[in-house]
Amino acid sequence: MSSREGKRTNSSKPRHRAFPRTGIRWLRHLEENWRIYRSNPMGMAGLVLLALFGLMALASFIPPLIDPIYDPMSGVDPIIDTSTGPSWRHWLGTDFMGRDIFSQLLTGARVAFMIGISAAFMAVAIGTLVGMTAGYFGRTVDTLLMRLADIIMVLPGLLVILILSSVVGRLSIWNLVIIIALFKWAGVSRVIRAQTLSLSVRPYIEAARVAGASHARILFRHILPNVLPLSFLYMTFGVTSAILIEAALSFLGFGDPSTVSWGMMLQWVWKTGHMFKAPYWLIPPGVCISLITLSFYLVGRALDEVLNPRLRKEVLEQ
Amino acid sequence: MNLRLFVLVRSVQILITFFIIMTLLFVLFRLAPGDPVAFLTDPQMTEEEVALLSQQFGLDQPLHRQYLLYVWNFIRGEFGISFYYHRPVVEILKDRLPKTALLFTTATILYAFAGITWGKILAWKRGSLLDTSVSLFGLLTHTFFLPWLALILIWIFAYHLGWFPLNAMISPEIWLDPESGWLRKGLDILHHMVLPLAVLFLTHFGGYTLVMRSTMLETLREDYILTARAKGLPEKVIRNRHAAPNAALPVVTSLGLSLAFSINGGAITETIFSWPGLGRELVFSVSNSDYPLAQASFLLIAAFVLVSNLIVDIIYAYLDPRIRY
Repeated sequence: MSSREGKRTNSSKPRHRAFPRTGIRWLRHLEENWRIYRSNPMGMAGLVLLALFGLMALASFIPPLIDPIYDPMSGVDPIIDTSTGPSWRHWLGTDFMGRDIFSQLLTGARVAFMIGISAAFMAVAIGTLVGMTAGYFGRTVDTLLMRLADIIMVLPGLLVILILSSVVGRLSIWNLVIIIALFKWAGVSRVIRAQTLSLSVRPYIEAARVAGASHARILFRHILPNVLPLSFLYMTFGVTSAILIEAALSFLGFGDPSTVSWGMMLQWVWKTGHMFKAPYWLIPPGVCISLITLSFYLVGRALDEVLNPRLRKEVLEQ
Repeated sequence: MNLRLFVLVRSVQILITFFIIMTLLFVLFRLAPGDPVAFLTDPQMTEEEVALLSQQFGLDQPLHRQYLLYVWNFIRGEFGISFYYHRPVVEILKDRLPKTALLFTTATILYAFAGITWGKILAWKRGSLLDTSVSLFGLLTHTFFLPWLALILIWIFAYHLGWFPLNAMISPEIWLDPESGWLRKGLDILHHMVLPLAVLFLTHFGGYTLVMRSTMLETLREDYILTARAKGLPEKVIRNRHAAPNAALPVVTSLGLSLAFSINGGAITETIFSWPGLGRELVFSVSNSDYPLAQASFLLIAAFVLVSNLIVDIIYAYLDPRIRY
């Protein structure tokens, strides 16, 4: 009995050595990657900008606490009933109803993160699942899924959402997030499929299959961990496009009327005819949308470099 | 011959795709809550008109018959009557399509060429001041929020400086004047087109420049470039004849992939500048609940994107002899 137990521990030892303390190895990887990431000044600039927007999103809870007149939606300054320029009382001025533009801008950051991250997360989750399935099973499954992806990719997403909202009425912010995700998974699935195709012919997958692993196990234990970094990269790009779609939709007047987003603020400036009179109102939301797009783009490109050593060489050569 | 087969296969694929989009649109409008008659008829229409339209679109018949009629009506170009204009939808679309095509095609050609040319030059002079400044500029304009850029350009160049008209496609006083010849009319359209073109150009050219720059850098590392150098070919020949055509291939691919995205921007641009095109009509009809017009303009835009995709594919196949069936 005891000799058997001894044997068992013996046999488990080499296995431990083959995968030494996975957790720490993962951390070391992270450290290594962070070192590569840090050497990219543009990526760092993007990260700093994102941190600033994060601070804005957090700070958006403060103004309504100070005084209800600073509430971005319902707060109306009793002594102001029209758009006024920046002042001590309202740092960026007020909109056409006398609401504080600065607190709207802060709330816009929160809404942008909410929409961007949730839509991109959903899109990437669907895209990764579909891409892995298509790449792993191949044949008819692959053809069908990829044709579907092709059709979605040739559709102008914003205009489809317009048509949808003409049928079902105005979309709430969460419905919008789901619909954006349904449009954005296609691009991700193409990339993940290509990666899965190249992974599924590798010896370790065959070994897993011979060892009797089920399809689900191979997909989720052996392929998924290897495509996840790529999914994560595409998520940073997905966040941008989700934010842009929501902003454009709100700008055209089809956004969720109960939410303040940067696109909505621009729609108000435009539709109330203040765009020539109130630069203090026209400029900030546009700068914010453009900068958040820029920062996610920079972070995405820097991550791309971390994941894709070929790109790194090019940078070093310069 | 092979190229012809390729074009044929792609055309059939595109037709199938279009058919699927059409079907999805039908399902969307028929499954939507509410009476389908409401999507086709206007409360202001007379009894006879309602009866006529219901018959034309087979609203009294079973769903599969309705679908067949829908397809048949589409082939005949019968889209119903616009609620807003009280005119046949097809007449309105016939008027709008060329205007969208003019703006969008001009913009696409301009930014694709500018992107390829600038990318080529920047990769050639990598690390120089020119490279850094143009790359940065391209990156910044690429991430500009399109409607905002449009508003800012209108604010500066149309409102403050007064160089360009605020909106619309033509000045009525010039077009109503029997004296003015086609040159004056053409220049008038061009004058109105500068700002919308600038918006589309600025938001797109950066992306293509950056893609071209990085593929060009990759191409310049290839052995055959080294060979060309060793043969003593002039730098310009290596850059323009040997490296650029190969490096431009992925740019053409990304042009095709981003057409659907660009048409979104086109629709927004048209709306802001009151450019009387398809995109603006779609935005308008959706906000006016003008369902027949909204459906038809959406389908036409989808067809436009698909055909543009086909053209891009043909250009690609023409540039890359490996793409053949």
